[in-house]
Amino acid sequence: MGLCGWKGKILRVDLTRGKIGEEDLSDDLMLNYIGGRIAGNKILLDEMDPMVDPLGPDNKLIFATGPLTGTGVPAGGRFIAVSKSPLTGGIANPCCGGYFGANLKYAGYDFLIIEGKSPEPAYLSIVNDQVTIKPAEHLWGKWATETENAIRAELSDSKDAWGRNTPSVLLIGPAGENLVSFASIMSDGGRALGRSGLGAVMGSKNLKAIGVKGTGEVRIADVKGFQKAIIDFIGEARETGQLENRSKWGTWDLIGRAQKTGTLCSLNFKEGDFDGFKPYEDPATIRDKIRVRDEACFGCPFRCGKRSTIFDPAYPGTAKGPEHETLGLFGSNCGVADLDEIWKANYLCNELGMDTITGGATISCAMELYELGYLTGKTIGYPLNFGNGTAILELLKKTAFRKDFGDQLADGGYAVAERAGHPELFMGVKKQGFPAWHPQGRFPGLEVIGLQYATSPVGASHTKSVMTFHSQSDDLTPLVAWTKHYQDYVSIVDAGVLCWIIYHGPMWEDKASSWLELVTGVSYSQDKLMMIGEKNWNMERLFNLAAGLSSEDDGLPQRMLTEAPPRGGRVVDLPPLLEEYHRIRGWDNKGVPKPEKLEELGLSEWKVKVQ
Amino acid sequence: MEGKGAMKINIDHTKCSGCKLCEVACSLNHTGAVNVQRSRIRVFIGEEFCLPVIARNYKAVCDSKGDMVMYNGHEVDECVVCRASCPVKSVFKELDGKTPLKCDFCRGDPQCVRWCPTGALTLVGGR
Ligand code: SF4
Ligand code: SF4
Repeated sequence: MGLCGWKGKILRVDLTRGKIGEEDLSDDLMLNYIGGRIAGNKILLDEMDPMVDPLGPDNKLIFATGPLTGTGVPAGGRFIAVSKSPLTGGIANPCCGGYFGANLKYAGYDFLIIEGKSPEPAYLSIVNDQVTIKPAEHLWGKWATETENAIRAELSDSKDAWGRNTPSVLLIGPAGENLVSFASIMSDGGRALGRSGLGAVMGSKNLKAIGVKGTGEVRIADVKGFQKAIIDFIGEARETGQLENRSKWGTWDLIGRAQKTGTLCSLNFKEGDFDGFKPYEDPATIRDKIRVRDEACFGCPFRCGKRSTIFDPAYPGTAKGPEHETLGLFGSNCGVADLDEIWKANYLCNELGMDTITGGATISCAMELYELGYLTGKTIGYPLNFGNGTAILELLKKTAFRKDFGDQLADGGYAVAERAGHPELFMGVKKQGFPAWHPQGRFPGLEVIGLQYATSPVGASHTKSVMTFHSQSDDLTPLVAWTKHYQDYVSIVDAGVLCWIIYHGPMWEDKASSWLELVTGVSYSQDKLMMIGEKNWNMERLFNLAAGLSSEDDGLPQRMLTEAPPRGGRVVDLPPLLEEYHRIRGWDNKGVPKPEKLEELGLSEWKVKVQ
Repeated sequence: MEGKGAMKINIDHTKCSGCKLCEVACSLNHTGAVNVQRSRIRVFIGEEFCLPVIARNYKAVCDSKGDMVMYNGHEVDECVVCRASCPVKSVFKELDGKTPLKCDFCRGDPQCVRWCPTGALTLVGGR
């Protein structure tokens, strides 16, 4: 019979040899690594030398669902991609919604492992166990929507519209093809595996897209209990107002909170407030300005996806977003207040296949370099002052095709700043741009955001722990413990694969174990889950150390450590935070897990791999 | 039950988010597992709208050539809005590709309506 929830199968595709094979999942992998990010990490650590060239054929790209994916667990339909990042040189594990994860399960697989490099542009077609590598010459160079529609048509043998509606598609745009270091993998009409540049990994493998559909089932261990739990969960979310709020505003209500606390990225993080965003402190203003339809991912009662249109004939399509991150990075951080311009940047990033966060961080960095005279208008091709929205749009197109100055931008903001002689002006960690939250907020405790960016294994990221806005104390020790706790917990969320946005607070912290038990029949105590989460965090650390990263890469840009933003804010005193962090993690002062820690977590075999 | 005309499910597609929880609910209730391909309600995910459609009997009255029709201001393929479990349609079929699926109102307690989080599905009459 096997376990419920998991399908128990891996699909492995070797693009170099055109070999396709199926493997059984081991009980150990399912029970002790659950799925998603954690099981994906385990496979990568077991199979791949962390020193491989991320854009070479030896890098692997693993798409990992979890036991909850495709079951209808509220906000639990996601999947993860695990690989080595061409942007950071460390581990990558972005998470994505939409329908792809569910469809991969229905086709019969928990994991899809892509290896090697196709000699010609190709796409992968998965229809249950009929898996074929098909030529994609005709799709190369095409933008996201066009590619997606083409694959949908090619995957459905039937003529009717329903047939084309069933498959899910993962794809790269021109940016991934041209190995832009922050290229994304796009899915199902605007969902994204945005961070870490995995679009370039797909591009380096000559893999344009993956289409999947399936007719299989996912079994549930306790059907009656599951049905009741879902109806109860939706009822609870409705009663507490969560359902309504999230659905109406998505993440737009966060602008007001960020402004109030001085945590809004502004002008390449020189500031923590942006007057141009005053009107958007009321999220209703945003909703009124663009035409919006609320969309959900598979199995999610919340509909935070905002499919939007603007009234500009030059941009007739729709885009998913802009959500809080994109508003911040292409808006306030570039000094742009015009919602239409931000929308267009979002649209271009989706269509060309680029991460809006590192994309925005890269351009805002170039803007500051320009204003300080470290980059000239001649080099860039435009007078790139803060606020020049038109230039942003032109540069985004050039970046995706590596044309003119776009060729430099395509290497990411850190490379641009370094070439201009001022790497300290790139606002990010491990070459990945800061998300929209400024680590120098006005209240004590907010600087812990800086610690979370610095210690995230994938470079600056807001989804690898949980921020708190409730502390007002100068004693940061409890917040370091909080950071560690939620880093471990979020690993579990990403293993389910549950949605970080919904499950990231303490509110539903106990839910992960109850969903896992209802679906799989395996009971996980909270302690056991936290242990698995901690193990995961250490596995990621070990991967990064073995890939050549060190504690030197856990730093923040100089500005965060020395200058407070003009309207008030904290200077982040990082060294003591890191020291305390290393202590509670059981790592030495170089950030290397101590042998006792590895032993405790069952990772001793890894000792030798870290020099 | 359909004959009595007492129970009806009202669909307001403008509220539908495309979450497909109704498909999960229906298949779980009828097959004991999650298999949306065997659901009696299917949700069409369009760029401008999502459209839940509930399966009913196939009656040989369709002379459609799959033309496009206007539906609340959007152009859609006629087959998408049609509820019939008709032979040329790929949805509303059991996995054998032949046996038509048909909504049975879950014997009086429609699960899709219970699960639908947006209010796109509501029950009229039948109590
Ligand atoms: S009422 Fe029951 S049988 Fe009919 S579509 Fe809804 S869930 Fe399926
Ligand atoms: S459950 Fe409701 S909102 Fe979700 S897809 Fe079905 S009809 Fe639409």
